[in-house]
Amino acid sequence: MTSPGGQGGGALSTRGGAATKRMKWAIELSLGNSRSRSDRQSKDGDVMYPVGYSDKPVPDTSVQEADRNLVEKRCWDVALGPLKQIPMNLFIMYMSGNTISIFPIMMVCMMAWRPIQALMSMSATFKLLESSSQQWLQGLVYLIGNLLGSALAIYKCQSMGLLPTHSSDWLAFIEPPQRLEIMGGGMVM
Amino acid sequence: MAWLVVRLAITVSLLYTASAVFEDQVGKFDWRQQFIGKVRFALFDTHSQASKKLLVATDKNVFASLNSRTGDLFWRHVDKTGPEGHIDALLMYGQDAVVVVGNGRLLRSWETTVGGLKWEAVLDTGSFQAAALVGVQDFVKYVAVLKKSAISLHDLSSGSQIWVENLPDSDTVQYQTIYSGGNGLVFVLGFVPNSHIVIVEYKIEDGEIMKKKSVEAAWMSSLENSCAVISSGILLCVDQITQSLYTLPLQSAEQTEMRQIHLQTLDLEVASGFPPVLTSTQPNPAQPPLAEFFLQLSPDHHILLQLKDGLIAPLRDFNPSYLAAFATSGEKTVAAVMSPKNDTACSINLFSADTGRRHLDTTIIYHMDPNGGKPNRLYVHAFLKKDDSVGYRVMVQTEDLTLTFLQQPGRVVWMREEALADVVTMEMVDLPLTGTQAELEGEFGKKADGLLPMVLKRLSSQFILLQAWMAHLWKLFYDARKPRSSVKNEVTIDTLSRDEFNLQKMMVMVTASGKLFGIDSKSGTILWKQYLENIQPNSIFKLIVQRTTAHFPHPPQCTLLIKDKDTGLGSLYVFNPIFGKKSHISVPALPRPVLQTLLLPVIDQDYAKVLLLIDDQYKVTAFPSTKNVLQQLQDTASSIFFYLVDTSQGKLSGFRLRMDLSTELIWEVVIPTEVQKIVAVKGKRANEHVHSQGRVMGDRSVLYKYLNPNLLAVITESTDTHQERSFVGIFLIDGVTGRIVHEAVQRKARGPVHFVHSENWVVYVYWNSKFRRNEFSVLELFEGAELYNSTVFSSLDRPHPPQVLQQSYIFPAPISTLEATLTEKGITSRHLLVGLPSGNILSLPKMFLDPRRPEVVSEQSREENLIPYAPEMPIRTEWFINYNQTVSRVRGIYTAPSGLESTCLVVAYGLDIYQTRVFPSKQFDVLKDDYDYVLISSVLFGLFFATMISKRLAEVKLLNRAWR
Repeated sequence: MTSPGGQGGGALSTRGGAATKRMKWAIELSLGNSRSRSDRQSKDGDVMYPVGYSDKPVPDTSVQEADRNLVEKRCWDVALGPLKQIPMNLFIMYMSGNTISIFPIMMVCMMAWRPIQALMSMSATFKLLESSSQQWLQGLVYLIGNLLGSALAIYKCQSMGLLPTHSSDWLAFIEPPQRLEIMGGGMVM
Repeated sequence: MAWLVVRLAITVSLLYTASAVFEDQVGKFDWRQQFIGKVRFALFDTHSQASKKLLVATDKNVFASLNSRTGDLFWRHVDKTGPEGHIDALLMYGQDAVVVVGNGRLLRSWETTVGGLKWEAVLDTGSFQAAALVGVQDFVKYVAVLKKSAISLHDLSSGSQIWVENLPDSDTVQYQTIYSGGNGLVFVLGFVPNSHIVIVEYKIEDGEIMKKKSVEAAWMSSLENSCAVISSGILLCVDQITQSLYTLPLQSAEQTEMRQIHLQTLDLEVASGFPPVLTSTQPNPAQPPLAEFFLQLSPDHHILLQLKDGLIAPLRDFNPSYLAAFATSGEKTVAAVMSPKNDTACSINLFSADTGRRHLDTTIIYHMDPNGGKPNRLYVHAFLKKDDSVGYRVMVQTEDLTLTFLQQPGRVVWMREEALADVVTMEMVDLPLTGTQAELEGEFGKKADGLLPMVLKRLSSQFILLQAWMAHLWKLFYDARKPRSSVKNEVTIDTLSRDEFNLQKMMVMVTASGKLFGIDSKSGTILWKQYLENIQPNSIFKLIVQRTTAHFPHPPQCTLLIKDKDTGLGSLYVFNPIFGKKSHISVPALPRPVLQTLLLPVIDQDYAKVLLLIDDQYKVTAFPSTKNVLQQLQDTASSIFFYLVDTSQGKLSGFRLRMDLSTELIWEVVIPTEVQKIVAVKGKRANEHVHSQGRVMGDRSVLYKYLNPNLLAVITESTDTHQERSFVGIFLIDGVTGRIVHEAVQRKARGPVHFVHSENWVVYVYWNSKFRRNEFSVLELFEGAELYNSTVFSSLDRPHPPQVLQQSYIFPAPISTLEATLTEKGITSRHLLVGLPSGNILSLPKMFLDPRRPEVVSEQSREENLIPYAPEMPIRTEWFINYNQTVSRVRGIYTAPSGLESTCLVVAYGLDIYQTRVFPSKQFDVLKDDYDYVLISSVLFGLFFATMISKRLAEVKLLNRAWR
């Protein structure tokens, strides 16, 4: 029943339902006393917004247009993220050492898992980079960064001896050879 | 510093291997049984009425005291083996037992209550003849010992020698007996065969010869069993040829000829070919013997006779009777006689010795074991009852060395199986499945006959299983309420079934006396026994398991090859190892001496493995020899090889089987017997599994093991025993091709060599005569970094010789036997079980005997967990698997895998038998005994309820928030 345009004056004095009870004075500009009282009752919980306020967000169309460079920069950030992590990983690798215990193992797992996870969600990242003009280049950089990350993880596994690259790692799977001859005997009884 | 590192490394490695038994585990899965051997002398302690002691001396050189109420040992003294510890005589007076040991070398007096040595006297050299207690004026003060050429008298309380005298004409006269009647004189009786008897009379005080006389006795050939002294010093002899008794008063001067009494005048006759035996009794050494005596005329005919006023009168004729013995209690002397009652039982009766009258209500019924031997010794313990009548108990020893202690009216108080003191060989056999398990197994074995019947059968067997499970649960519940001691359920042959981890097995033991035993490995209970009669004393036994219990419904089958050493002929005894029953399978006749046997992995249609027996013409007999088997043998004949080692010629020869079951010689290795002799040959155990085909190096490459299943380890010793020139040789020979894979010589060493050959290693122990110490040496064989052929192994195609590594160590103790642990899959690390002469069994980790142990520790060797080389091998008391349960004279150790990979069953046998389990890599596949089930389950339940409660709380909270 109310519209922001028609009730400009009234809004000044009657802000907030709680105030109605404590008011010292009031200016009633509308017609019909009895009517207005009931109207006010119905309006009681509502918020009175300031002039020019809209409670629906207004789509901002001007920003995209305004700074394309910012987008490019943001996309490059995403693309270079994995590469930037490599020095950090190297440091962690160096610090954690080659002993096999729970913390180095957890770190290596994290190191290996993160690039794999990123590679799995490659399409989502591509969607993110869609807006960029250098989308393919950025995608490639992102891919390379992740591959480097996983290579690093593999190198770490290798140096920790977790990769089954030696013949000793397959020793348990060698079946005992079948014997072709049956032999027996002993001392002459 | 380096030394410190080495020590630290050793300590750390020991932490892994230390595996002693905890105090509360004692007796939980191990047991020991102590034996004494065949009883030669047994004396009851009649000193006091309530005494429970029974003193025994045995052919195993054991002197022991048994509790006559329970049969347990009070104490036991095990002397040296062989003639050095041989117990020649046992005499007892009061609390003292006097023993002559080692062919008259030592005279010892033992305190009988605790078994302490009171004194020991070293006697002069000379072969022992007899010993006797000598009394003066109703007191026994001395002990006299007769040697071949001298007699000595010793004080009974201190052992000091009173006098020693040479015997006159000892080079011609055989002195054999001593007699003393308590009148201050000692008589020594000797004889010249078929000529005369010599009687020498000594004065007790100073050993002066009072009198010496010889009496004509042309008929005499032996003094020992055919003569006895009775009734105030009258020598009584019996002769088979003249069928007469002869008497001679020892002290009379006028009688120079023995008085002959024809047995015919007494209506008696000695059975032909049987040497008659006289048995007299002298209840108190300080008084003359009784006038009554037993005369044994044939194996089952005794007669009680009395000498009265120079006349011999029969008191009672016992025909038939197997055994007779005198016993004395107080003033009364009685005679116990065992007579056959029927085929399976004997009755023992008591007779008064002086009248021959039977005591009323004194019959003891002795039931003979149908699987045992005949009784051959009777020992009687007589005692006075409250009403002054004579009561008695008897101990019966049978041919199969069973001691049975009986009391009236035939109740068996205890039994001891002394045959087990001499176990020759043994095997462990899996127990059968329970009826329900077998039902389920059988279902898979049967042929399918339609879908619906199969389903029904499955359902019914599942129902039976459910029923059994419910019954089991009910039993558990029921037992839980009873006190713990009464729950202990007896193992009988009917309740035998395999446990879930196959830890309980049947131990089949073959003893030297020819008695077979089936013993439950968990409790040590004897479940069955079988005495094989007519086994020669030095026979060779070989026990073979032809069919295990795995082939339900076929019963398991064991075959025992018995070879008589004198005739060389062998015989087969086939039996069921679980029930001990003889199988009714036709056994091949073995007309020619058997040289060796060979158990093939080939099975016949009844799942029995085929046994090949090779005779002295190198012909082969197959057992079983059905058509199926012969067909299979023809197919595989070209790949069946066997080897024979002839130690007398120093020859090893290899043969190949031909289609027609004859053989052809394919190789021969001669080790010249002038230089060295072959002492032992060992292949690998057939049931051994090797899980890992190689060893991982520090750089994570693999050194592959040389696992030649046909490899033989041959040990030789030099014939020259001079300590500078003696040596021990070891040859590793391929049994198929005869190729010598490796040979090594240990200079300045000699045997006895004990060795173990397993996987790719041989461990042997010898005596280093230069440094005078025992040394361990280990040989390990490797193929190298590459496997030549990883799928099949053929000895005929091995172009590359293996790499051999060797290392030696000092072992700080002599050893008596050596064996290696064995597990199901061979994953568990190996330990060596070393039987020490002290009776302990040492479990020595194989990692200490590793030729790759480095002298200088490097990064790689540390990576490999190699212990740095130290020449001394440690002996740690925690490694004794039998803690204080020592096994006397341990002769062999048998190891068998169990159903658990971590667990190996061990039986050590010698004079005693000890069974236990060892866990070389600890119990990695079962929860520990002290696992805290209560804590774990309470934590689990606590967490579960906490989750439930917090879930509920979270729900309430969420609901409240939604309402706000």
